[in-house]
Amino acid sequence: MLARHYIGESWKHGLLIIGALIVLIPFYMMVSMSLKSQQEIQSISGGLVGAQEIQTFPVCTKHGYTEEVCTMRPYKYNFWFAFKKAPIPRYLMNGLIVTVSIFLIQVLIALPCSYALAKLRFKGREFVFSMVLFCLLIPVHAIALPLYVMLAKAGLVDTYAALIIPWTISVFGIFLMRQFFMTVPDELIDAARMDGMGEYSIVWKVMLPVAIPALLAFAIFSVVAHWNDYFWPRIVITGNRDLFTPPLGIREFRGGIDSDEFGPMMASIVTVTVPLIVAFIIAQKRFVEGITMTGMK
Amino acid sequence: MHYSKAHIWFVWPAIILMIVILILPIFLAGGISFTNYNLGNSSFEWVGMENYEKMFSRKTYTKMIIATATYVLIVVPASVIIGLAAAVMLNSLRFGADIYKTIFFLPVMATLLAMAIAWEFTLHPTLGIINSFLADGCGGIREFILGFHWLPWVGSEDSWYSVACANNMDFPYWLKDKKTAIWTICFIGIWQAFGFNMVLYLAGLTSIPRELYHAAEMDGAHSTWEQFKLVTWPMLGPTTLFVVTITTIRSFQVFDTIEILTKGGPSKTTYVMMYAIFEKAIMQNITSIGAAITVVFIVFIILLTFFQRYVIEKRVHY
Repeated sequence: MLARHYIGESWKHGLLIIGALIVLIPFYMMVSMSLKSQQEIQSISGGLVGAQEIQTFPVCTKHGYTEEVCTMRPYKYNFWFAFKKAPIPRYLMNGLIVTVSIFLIQVLIALPCSYALAKLRFKGREFVFSMVLFCLLIPVHAIALPLYVMLAKAGLVDTYAALIIPWTISVFGIFLMRQFFMTVPDELIDAARMDGMGEYSIVWKVMLPVAIPALLAFAIFSVVAHWNDYFWPRIVITGNRDLFTPPLGIREFRGGIDSDEFGPMMASIVTVTVPLIVAFIIAQKRFVEGITMTGMK
Repeated sequence: MHYSKAHIWFVWPAIILMIVILILPIFLAGGISFTNYNLGNSSFEWVGMENYEKMFSRKTYTKMIIATATYVLIVVPASVIIGLAAAVMLNSLRFGADIYKTIFFLPVMATLLAMAIAWEFTLHPTLGIINSFLADGCGGIREFILGFHWLPWVGSEDSWYSVACANNMDFPYWLKDKKTAIWTICFIGIWQAFGFNMVLYLAGLTSIPRELYHAAEMDGAHSTWEQFKLVTWPMLGPTTLFVVTITTIRSFQVFDTIEILTKGGPSKTTYVMMYAIFEKAIMQNITSIGAAITVVFIVFIILLTFFQRYVIEKRVHY
């Protein structure tokens, strides 16, 4: 019986390990290329990290740096040159500005609305809620073109506003919070009213703290989605490098697959991808929760 | 419940934004699709159904529908089945499940655009490790397994692997060949999506009461497969429906991998709808055609979701 159990386990592990290896291939490729020298990349040699021999990099000297500056180990060169070639901190900063503003505005709009839908009685409440349910059907990417036309007519192309405005309303957020507030006992709100609190302070001083777990899940969902989003920034940011979000930056590094050095390019891609992946590995449980709450009932 | 005027300030910002950002654009797209409007032109004319007629008569758009349908019909079932299989397997493991879960979820988290570039190099005919791995395996066990030599009816002339080995390592140019491009894009889509489905299924599995399995065993369902058929699969019905819908909607919107890897080519075999909207309306500035595609796209998605809700109401209630 026990032996049969172990055999049963081991074929599962076999399958899962093959699956895991396939899943990891591009990650391996990405990390490995960001560490190795151009010759090693082109001859597919050197395994994961390459030989790391100290050498002088010709592309670097061509950019006007002295030979002394351009002599170092490949992994160091790749990351150093990536930061020299493109304003990577700027891209990361833009990513942060955009994702954080989107999340804050979403909460500012959604939290009072969901509180009203869950706990206040007013005329037209059912209608507003069914409107929310209908809007849940509309993916913003699908209506990107008319939104773009509207923003272009308003002269907002190539601004932070264009990156943020379409995402300010999260119907999903309203829906999620409303479901959450439905479970909050009315006594809590009544007690707050007895203490003389107005509806505004109830929203921000009573409901907000109560909603922290749901908000955290929503924050992760929102930040991940907008940090990784490429389609929308690609449309509304046409040339201004100062507004590039991380994916647009990546897109620019790619340049020509035939001409450029691959090491620094992959180093910049690793730099942009790593923050989210590290955050995910640290707070795995919360991430999985946050992302899977998307529309669960 | 409480009477107050506060709701006006609570609800109206959301209502206005919903109307302006989500509902108005649909009508705007509908309106533009009946004109010859281009962004930048000051005037336009109503052209009736002309844009739609173009869409349904020209070959490009037939290819667009075929590419989109192929992608959705491959990626959705495959990523759902693989996600379910992974979840069921992980659920029955005694150790190591967390590590696999982390690894399988990585592609969901990672910036898809970055991963598309990583795949581009992985699949590159001369720089990529896939083709060098295949070339190293000529004549060995890899050729036997991946070339399907273990199937009795596959001889060395029929096996794609052996043919490539014999022709001076002529392995596929995965993304550049019109025979393989769409399948490669589908593969990357499955790679990216299945971890998400797996996590949803894992959540679904934990809500199945243990007693049901005991009851099934009493009724004579002893094998794992019988128990799966009798208990697990029906109990996962609502999860499956949700997973299928959300994967379908996401697959319809595939864009990042296409723009980076194939640009809709070779010969429009990967010309999916989102990319078509982008290319026509943004790159070539033919706003009206883009709007017509947008309308068809939205109709697809709304029909699909209504269908899902209908099925939920009618069928999957316990």
